[in-house]
Amino acid sequence: MNNVLKRVNSGFMSLMALLFMSPIILMILTSFKPEAEVLNPSSAIPKHWTVANYQYLLGWSEEAPFGRWLLNSFFISTSVTLLVVVFSSMAAFSITRLRVPGGNFMLGVIVASMMVPGQLFLVPLYLMLSRLHWLDTPAALIVPATAGGFGVFMLSQFMRAIPEAIEEAALIDGCTPFGLYLNVTLPLCAPALATLGIFTFVGSWNDFLGPLVFMDSVRNYTLPVGIALYQSSYYTEYGLTLATSVLATTPLVIVFMAFQRQIVESMSSTGLKD
Amino acid sequence: MTYKQRRSAAALLFLTPYALSFLAFIVTPIIVSIVLSVMHYDMTAPHSVKFVGSSNYKDAWKDEYFWQALKATFGYVILMVPGLIITALGMGLGMHGMAKGRNTVRALLFLPGMLNVAVTGILWQWFFNGEFGLFNFILKRLGMNPAPWLSDKAYAMPSIVLMSLWWTLGGTSIVILAALQQIPKQIFEAALLDGAKGPALLSRITLPLLRPVLLFVVVTNTIAGFQVFGQPFLLTRGGPELSTRGIVQYIYETAFNNYRLGYGAAMSWMLFAIIAVFALVQYSFLRRSTS
Repeated sequence: MNNVLKRVNSGFMSLMALLFMSPIILMILTSFKPEAEVLNPSSAIPKHWTVANYQYLLGWSEEAPFGRWLLNSFFISTSVTLLVVVFSSMAAFSITRLRVPGGNFMLGVIVASMMVPGQLFLVPLYLMLSRLHWLDTPAALIVPATAGGFGVFMLSQFMRAIPEAIEEAALIDGCTPFGLYLNVTLPLCAPALATLGIFTFVGSWNDFLGPLVFMDSVRNYTLPVGIALYQSSYYTEYGLTLATSVLATTPLVIVFMAFQRQIVESMSSTGLKD
Repeated sequence: MTYKQRRSAAALLFLTPYALSFLAFIVTPIIVSIVLSVMHYDMTAPHSVKFVGSSNYKDAWKDEYFWQALKATFGYVILMVPGLIITALGMGLGMHGMAKGRNTVRALLFLPGMLNVAVTGILWQWFFNGEFGLFNFILKRLGMNPAPWLSDKAYAMPSIVLMSLWWTLGGTSIVILAALQQIPKQIFEAALLDGAKGPALLSRITLPLLRPVLLFVVVTNTIAGFQVFGQPFLLTRGGPELSTRGIVQYIYETAFNNYRLGYGAAMSWMLFAIIAVFALVQYSFLRRSTS
């Protein structure tokens, strides 16, 4: 009886997984269909495979410079990720290993600031960025993103756990504080740095409200905002918009496949510590 | 210089880049936002800036659109949070009971969560479209009447919630599954020996042990729910008849379409207050029932 139940459960869960995947599979398959077949699908698998949608997208058109949006997104997400990892690890190192005066108080303030909802920053940031003449430039999406507290908080937790004996040994060997950071602490934190990097990249890549508000000209959009606004003006051409969606998703799916374990594991641990 | 001096100098140097960024882009915006919320600030007429005290807050209180947006937001939260928690609990228990293939199912359920909200919106707009949509195509094939997924007031919010469930269920199920895996097996074995059956096992043993993690997912998803923007914005633009325009979209439109920055800032603080109250109430309520 118990075994039958287990089999039924496994079968049901596999079915659910398939059901959850089916929109993504449909999206990929449909992006290879000619438009007529998209609107009148006789089967999920294309009868006439075509790459016309992708050809049109990667050809640099004025109203939808898709390649440009892709480059914008890559540039912005990569810069944000690098800066966040560097700034946060330096700050966490200063607070936990160099014990900067008032460091723990500062960490408290940083954690408290994480509770303020993101939308509250929208209006004042817009005003500040317009004064700085940063609106409609990548700086508007890169520089403010380095202020988030999550990285400092997470890396501080991690660095605190490093035994002091390792540090003392390095100091006896004549290590400078900078050498300690670069050659001892960072390598020991590699898994935490990778997790922070993945989450920051995905978060920045998927940010929607920020680029929607701070970017003005079509050529400066990031990919998500570009395709969303493009879709609202050409919304009946589903084959085309689905192809843009596939292209926008591919980098993330690659990241996910490569770091699946790490992503799922750090998702799992978020709810357990409180 | 002694090592101690060098260390203090280095400590300051290492902290400086982040500290500057934090001051500039977290602390300053919070202060600017407080100041803006008591000002009349129209972007189209920058010389008309003046102090107006609490009148932005009072205006929101009397603004029927503000209440309508609040109602739409509540409508989303009330459907989404219980729906998400119940389905995620089911998925978590289901995955926990799997002997083989658990990790694959876990990864596949989570994959939609990696998609961008814009991509999710495009995909589901194609599913939901009244004339060319996939769902109505299937319904017609089955000989049923097409449904007004996004164009009818009664359907629009549930449709948005359906898409949001698909998008976020995996992440929440993973958190619940992780908590289930932490429960020692001996507890179940002891209960089984005492003659406990399935439903009793769930309500007496599993759910009480899951309380802390359920508290966490209820609070975080309620906070996220109150800030919903992308899903309704992309699927319905807040329609039909503003029935799905949430509070964040109203703030966005007030500030960036009508350029009333002061009013937008004041409404942001009101939303913050509502979220804080809800989070605190849920927290103390669920905390108390745990002990």
